[in-house]
Amino acid sequence: MEIFGNQSLRESFGEALVELGNQYDDLRVLDAGTRNSTMSEGFQRKYPDRFYTAGINEPGMIGIATGLAMAGKRVIVSDMSIFLQHAHAHLLTAARQKQGLHLIVAASHTGVAVGPDGGSAHDVTDIARMRLIPDFTVISPWDSEIVRKSLKTALEEPGYYYIRLNRPKVPTFTPPSFDFKIGKTYKLKSGSRVTIVAAGDKVYTALQVAAELGEGIAEVIGVATFEPFDRAPIVESARHTGRVITIEDHISQGGLFESVAGVLAEDHPTRMMKLAVPRKYTTSGEPDELAKMYQIDKSALLHACVKFLA
Amino acid sequence: MFRLSLNELDEQAYQIRKDLINLIYQAKSGHLDTSLSLVEVWLGLVNSDFYRYDPQNGAWAERDRIFLSEGHACPIQYMVNGLLGYYPKEEVFVTNRRPDSKFQGHTIRNLEYGFENSNGSLGIGLWHAYGAALELSSRVFCIVGDGEMQEPSSLGLLAAPHNLKPCGNYTLIVNNNGLAQDSAVDIGPLAAVCRAWGWHVIEADGHDWNEIDRAYTEAISDTVNPKVIIFKTVKGKGGDPKKEGKLGNHGKPPANDAEVAAYVEGLEAGRK
Repeated sequence: MEIFGNQSLRESFGEALVELGNQYDDLRVLDAGTRNSTMSEGFQRKYPDRFYTAGINEPGMIGIATGLAMAGKRVIVSDMSIFLQHAHAHLLTAARQKQGLHLIVAASHTGVAVGPDGGSAHDVTDIARMRLIPDFTVISPWDSEIVRKSLKTALEEPGYYYIRLNRPKVPTFTPPSFDFKIGKTYKLKSGSRVTIVAAGDKVYTALQVAAELGEGIAEVIGVATFEPFDRAPIVESARHTGRVITIEDHISQGGLFESVAGVLAEDHPTRMMKLAVPRKYTTSGEPDELAKMYQIDKSALLHACVKFLA
Repeated sequence: MFRLSLNELDEQAYQIRKDLINLIYQAKSGHLDTSLSLVEVWLGLVNSDFYRYDPQNGAWAERDRIFLSEGHACPIQYMVNGLLGYYPKEEVFVTNRRPDSKFQGHTIRNLEYGFENSNGSLGIGLWHAYGAALELSSRVFCIVGDGEMQEPSSLGLLAAPHNLKPCGNYTLIVNNNGLAQDSAVDIGPLAAVCRAWGWHVIEADGHDWNEIDRAYTEAISDTVNPKVIIFKTVKGKGGDPKKEGKLGNHGKPPANDAEVAAYVEGLEAGRK
């Protein structure tokens, strides 16, 4: 596996914003007082007239962003994920506007990967919440290349998009030539005995574990889009491996496990195992320490695969 | 200045009220009393000589915008836009509150029909309007309920001119009929709070054409500060006199022919 860089998803988001600002005069960016955490500050410095800070006011920020989109602008909103819970009714009403608006909501600081700030800062339910809103496309990039590619597409095609970013550095393994499409899941490695379906930065973890298990054992399916959910590659893989493990930095309720289980229950009932954050208030700790504690790290996945195959 | 004489405005108001009573009785649901309280406020705005719109081209970029934030008042919006020629009013009567209709129980954005925003939960549309005003040169008006101003999200908007920037093209119209769904509404120090955050505050009688004209004229003459017009109105105005300004009729359609007759009788008695 060739590695092209090591960058957090929020950093690649911040860099992409500056590039896209040059390309689209009608791009407007908003933040709710977290621009040096979400990395939207680069855009603010370069294009101060096209940046709005709503203050510490998430509902108002989403409301204003929706209004700017109604005024014909392409709009990207960024915030720390946990705070967007304040704005849920506004997100629901945003997507209800229909008619070709451009609105992208980017959430940084997701999962227990946020680390020492503690459970009140770990957003482990964002995918579930956003999946509940019709018309929102829900994207969870697995590395910086996917962040760049999905932002570019989302700015070109009108709609409502949620993009899940996070804080720690993640190896970039997607080559620039990769033909990424929003709404597709991808078989990233072939295997015949177990399927690992992973989302976000856990895709890299899955690829590492598949390599350790040896050639031809584990098949890895990378999910970068939750809604709409591309069923076919998952069902196809389950048909020939007969075993599916999911891994996510999110609770399983409304997350990857339930998305995959729902598809398989309908199309090809398959034995499954899940690695997900438990539905409880999480604790402070270093990201790696928490991933280990909540059993969503490399060794937990390796152990689960071995157990499943025994 | 209005484009119509006061007599013509009175006649429009009479027709709209009659249509509202029939529409909501026919649908067996809908917010008649809220809609009745907004008849003069809404007709006054669209008949003001400054108001720019084109029913043949609803998405005309230079149009003035009316956002409806208290979405349950959409029957008045539906009847007024029919009157203005965006669509035949019969279409409202045939499809109001029916599956997949353009006339849902709360508004769905549809520029062709002159509906600027989808609404629903309170405290949201006024932010959409403010966001649009930030980047538009047109005038943006937004109608909110007085009860809606209890939402923290609504009160938060009052700080937007200070925290973001003042929009001189923005006018918030508060329908102060004093009654919410299950209790009376006292707006308390709303006017003073608005002034403190940099709003140009105008207070007027929302059923008196001259007062309405004065309020809108004053609002558009200030192009520097955002405006809030607090229109004192009466819930259920111009319908059944026993229900005018009385708590307990929110969202209740006339239940039977006798109740409709009481509304129509009140309407006819008040006809000028």
